[in-house]
Order: sequence, then structure tokens, then C-alpha cells
Amino acid sequence: MWLPVLGLIIGVLLGFLTDFSIPVEYSDYLSIAILAALDTLFGGIRAHLQNIYDEKVFVSGFFFNILLAASLAFLGVHLGVDLYLAAVFAFGVRLFQNIAVIRRILITKWSAKE
Amino acid sequence: MKKKKGSYVILSLVCLVLGFLVAFSYHLTQKTDNREISNRQWERDMDLRNELIAQEERNRELQKELNNKQEKVVEIEEQLSQEEQVFFNLAEDAERYRIFLGKVKVKGPGVTVTLRDGQYNPNETNINNYIVHEHHVFSVINELYISGAAAIAVNGQRLSHNSYIVCNGPVIEVDGYPHPAPFEITAIGDPEVLSSALDLIGGVKDRLVNENIDFKLEKKQEIVLDPLLGT
Repeated sequence: MWLPVLGLIIGVLLGFLTDFSIPVEYSDYLSIAILAALDTLFGGIRAHLQNIYDEKVFVSGFFFNILLAASLAFLGVHLGVDLYLAAVFAFGVRLFQNIAVIRRILITKWSAKE
Repeated sequence: MKKKKGSYVILSLVCLVLGFLVAFSYHLTQKTDNREISNRQWERDMDLRNELIAQEERNRELQKELNNKQEKVVEIEEQLSQEEQVFFNLAEDAERYRIFLGKVKVKGPGVTVTLRDGQYNPNETNINNYIVHEHHVFSVINELYISGAAAIAVNGQRLSHNSYIVCNGPVIEVDGYPHPAPFEITAIGDPEVLSSALDLIGGVKDRLVNENIDFKLEKKQEIVLDPLLGT
């Protein structure tokens, strides 16, 4: 139960301790990747609450979404089109939907308990 | 149970990656903020750079001006050197004229001519036929001047442009000062030229010897003539 929290803490520490800096123009990729990761995480939580959670789908989606978002942003930069906005939009909408679903499920569960 | 544990491991891996990404991004954003400060620095840098460029342009202008001025200086110097040459020539001329006027002490090679009255000759009744007259002195002096003498003195008295020589009984007067025979005429100039001018056949020496005058010519390496007094 504490293992994921430990992993999170180690990750945060690693992120703070890493001292190499990437150029400013690549920070867009990173933010997109974070968005994708968050989206996948909340998707996973929702799936878990809906009892349709599949580990393979979750893990592959986590990494694949990050890569996809980053490559989309990369393509956008090279084509001169702000394609990362599409990723931001898509992931943002999905993030809100996922969080809304989680909220509803939690509320339903909570009221059912009572 | 086993499956659950594995899912925890994978979940923790996912959490690790997520934490890393978030932390790294936060870190980077912090740095970007720093970069914004450095943007201000960059602006300052730009200002300084512009200032530097302006300064350099000004420097170049000044350098050009300096070059022009230096060219002018060179021109002026050339002019000056030419003027100096002129002045030098003028000074040389003045020196030469002073020598002619007897205003300065003159030193150099030259000749000395000594005119002495002839030996007493019992056959000769007229004493005038064997003493030195002023026209003898004149002829010697004229001959010396013609052959390029720079300065001449008679018995040590310098002659100038307006000197006069008159016969005054047994002596001759040079500028009012009486001089008895023998007359020593000192001339500064090229000794060879002066002596050969006097030695010409049928020239001054021959004529003077014919008139029973003791004529002695000496070449000298160094003669010093003092300047005329009161000029």
C-alpha cells in the first residue's frame, strides 16, 4: 500500500535532485508529458473504481500517451502548427471527465455507505 | 495476493515516473523564472552592447579624425622642413656675407703673400721704382678676390666691402690705419687655386717681380682672421 507513495516520493526527490536543464523550447514537451501522465493516472483510478481496470492497458497507456503527446508537440514545433494545443485540449477534457466520473462514483459509494 | 503485489510495484513505478516528471517540470519552471530575470539582464546586456557599439563608432570617427590630423601634421612638417632648408640656405648665405663683411672670425686654409720693398739698387736713381705702392697691393688683393678668396687681411687687418687703401707717403693706409712695408696679405680660400692664380705667367707675380718687388707666396693649412673692430 505504501509502495506507490514511496515511489512518488522517490520520483519527486529524483526530479528535484536532477540538475541537468533542458532548453526552454523543450519544456513544452515536458508539460504535455505531465498532462498525459496525469490523464492516464486518473483514467486508471476511474477504471479501478469502475472495476474495469486492466494493468496492461494502464501501464501501456501511461507510457504510450506520454510519448504520443511529446511526439505530437515535436511534430507541431517542426510543422509550425501549435499541435501541442490539440494534446493539451484532448488531455484536459479527458482529465476533467475522468475526475468528474471519479467524483460521481465516490459520491455514489459514499451515499450508498450511508 | 501475488497479482496485487505486482500491481503495486507497477503502480509505484508509474508514480515514480509521474513524480519525477512533475518535480522536474517544477524545477525547470523555477529555472525559467530565473531565466526571466536573466532576460532583464539580457536587455541590460543589449543596452550595454549598443552603448559599446556607439562608443566604438565614436572611436572610429575620432580615429579617422586623428588620421586626418596626422596627415596634416606630416604636411606641415614637410613644409617646415622645406622652410628649414630655406632658412638653412639663408643662414649659410648670411654666414658667407658676414665673412665678406668681416663681421666674424674666419678660420681655414689659405695663402699668405708678402710684398717687400726691393733691395737697394745703386743703378736705379728713382726710389719709386723699387718700393711697394698701393696699386701693387690692390692688384694682389683683386686677384685674390677674383680667384675666390673668402676673406682677406692686410697685415692682419681685415678688409670689408667698403675698405679703402690709400698711399700716404712711406706707408699705406687701410681704412685709416697706416701700415708700413712689408705688407703681408692673408687670404682664406682654396690655397691651390689662389696660388696658381697669382703664379700665372704674365700675371700679378710676374708684374710685381718686374717692378723689383720682393714677392713671397706661402700656402697655409690654417689661417685665422679676426673680425673687424667696430662693425
